[in-house]
Amino acid sequence: MVEIIEETKGKDGRRNLKVAKENLVELIKDLKSKGYDHLSLITGIDRKDRLEVVYHLHNMKENVYVVVRTETMDERMPSISSLYASANWEEREQYDMLGIVFEGHPNLKRMFLPESWVGHPLRKNYDLSKVQYVNMDEEGNDYATFDPGDGW
Amino acid sequence: MAKVKSGEGGALTTTIDQAMEWARSNSLWPLTFGLACCAIEMMAIQASNLDISRFGSEIFRNSPRQSDLMIVSGTVTKKMAPRLRRIYDEMPYPKYVIAMGVCVIQGGPYHLGYSVVLGVDRVVPVDVYVPGCPPTPEALTYGIMLLQKKIRNEAER
Amino acid sequence: MVVEGEKIDQSREWVELNIGPQHPSTHGVLRLKVKLDGETVKDVEPIIGYLHRNAEKLCEMDYYCDSLIYFDRMDYVGAMNMELGYLEAAEKVLGIPPPERAQWIRVIMAELNRIAAHLVWAGAFGLDLGMLTPFFYCFIEREKVLKRFTAVSESRQQTNYMSIGGVYQDIDDQIIYDIEQFTEEFPAKLEDIFNTFVKNDIFISRNKGVGILEPEVAIDYGVTGPMLRASGVEYDVRKAEPYLVYDKLNFDIPVSYKKDNLARFLVRFEEMRQSIRIIKQAIKKIPDGPYFNPKAKKSLMIRLRGEGEAYARTESSKGEFGVYIVADGSVKPYRVHVRSPAMRNLAVLPHLAKDVMIADLFSISGTTDLVFGEVDR
Repeated sequence: MVEIIEETKGKDGRRNLKVAKENLVELIKDLKSKGYDHLSLITGIDRKDRLEVVYHLHNMKENVYVVVRTETMDERMPSISSLYASANWEEREQYDMLGIVFEGHPNLKRMFLPESWVGHPLRKNYDLSKVQYVNMDEEGNDYATFDPGDGW
Repeated sequence: MAKVKSGEGGALTTTIDQAMEWARSNSLWPLTFGLACCAIEMMAIQASNLDISRFGSEIFRNSPRQSDLMIVSGTVTKKMAPRLRRIYDEMPYPKYVIAMGVCVIQGGPYHLGYSVVLGVDRVVPVDVYVPGCPPTPEALTYGIMLLQKKIRNEAER
Repeated sequence: MVVEGEKIDQSREWVELNIGPQHPSTHGVLRLKVKLDGETVKDVEPIIGYLHRNAEKLCEMDYYCDSLIYFDRMDYVGAMNMELGYLEAAEKVLGIPPPERAQWIRVIMAELNRIAAHLVWAGAFGLDLGMLTPFFYCFIEREKVLKRFTAVSESRQQTNYMSIGGVYQDIDDQIIYDIEQFTEEFPAKLEDIFNTFVKNDIFISRNKGVGILEPEVAIDYGVTGPMLRASGVEYDVRKAEPYLVYDKLNFDIPVSYKKDNLARFLVRFEEMRQSIRIIKQAIKKIPDGPYFNPKAKKSLMIRLRGEGEAYARTESSKGEFGVYIVADGSVKPYRVHVRSPAMRNLAVLPHLAKDVMIADLFSISGTTDLVFGEVDR
């Protein structure tokens, strides 16, 4: 049995399970075997001192929801892309936007922004005043730069 | 007796110029360059209700090499801007650009963000700006007619 | 044909083809890196982000009522559905439920917009397959929907009609009559459009049996909406977790067990017929009363403070559209995250397009119904 730190009920009546980072994969594997076959959403939240990751799992047959929450202090999380195919892109998106490194992800690249973009925009300390520009090299790959003369 | 061509007549050449600009203005072939929301309104001017064939913009071409008008419809992001420039470079002269929607004009609702180009005129030269979010198809039709007027006036300059 | 030297192992000599981001069949700004063996697609890698407009960041920087405009521009062909998705979550966080009349108005508008969105899809899908005729028919009908939207919201496409605590303005008898007129006329026109597709042998042979999506794979990839229903899973958020007044309405979920392109096409057309059915009932049942919750006074809208967090999901024209809002007691949301159905539907494309002909790649990507404002946000 996986150790659950806290179980609460959300405003909308959904079960909220809080687990430690180490037990996350085990818990989700357990939930998947219980019929939670649809990973609805992975959300990263920047809580300034730590990063919170929220998983919305859904059981399609019985139509029940469960919310799994976990936290990380060092920007690293275990990947669940081997359990759900949809987690692949969602983890890439959270990596792009918040810089959460999902360990064990097969192809952890940025989803929306060019690979050399500096910083992760949805972090609360992201500086919008430092404008970055993007240009394309000969092979059609994008790169980001701080130089306004090189790119748009 | 063969007449010596002096090239001083002038009347014929200006007439041809005007005729050419008239022909050019009435056969604008836009490029299908849909980026975002405005692209759907751009599709709507091609459809039956507001058929722009009536004004000479006959067909939307899919290849930049066959078109002479680029309607930039929708937000230009920083990642898209180099592609937009390349597509613009691939178009043959004479070429014209219509900036459709406020996103294209100055960033629109997204101007505070990090990934949107603040105006497509930083990337390519723009002939006509059509404001609106999104502009109605009628507004875009008016923009195309303004561009036609501009092309026709080029000959008189 | 080998003219000289050894025979090349065809399975190793793959041609890499770059399609997009500017391509008429990618419905916007999708870029596909395709590996080809002859004309057979071996591998597809979708590259997205060419329309990444930082909507989630801007939501964090704006008041609750202002963020609505970014949602309008997400799925830009189905703006009403997007507004509805955001408001379902925002109203939970703010604690301002809409009054009953507003709920019915929202249902009518959302269903009208579902029809408009599917019509745009059908027209564009015809263009993908080289059929120009249905495009004109679809857009004539779509203009009729937009005419009704203009009457209620003074805007055609990005309506910004719904607002926190209700709708922007009440609908009067004239508009109800207009909408009723539309529901009377539209079904016959829809059959015309339908027949231009299905009576075309080329259309049928290009779509039948192409792009088979098994239900287990679909659920694993998070595919929802008409794509999932075409794979034989009877799942619709409007029935599974009814929001607004959908539990008081009588309608069916169209399901197909054929799992192919044609099934997805048929499911979308049946959805339009069901939407008409819903609108017809809703017009009859719509009650009198206020259209706006007085708690959300328009002049004080920016002072609304959110508490807690909420995840609301609605059935948009693409699938399950979820909005997750985390509030921290201030006038601006702390974090807004959007579950984009089109993005999940796109993620399954590499699986669907394995070992198909390159011409079929676009009929498959056409049936996934991509709208890039929503995929990239």
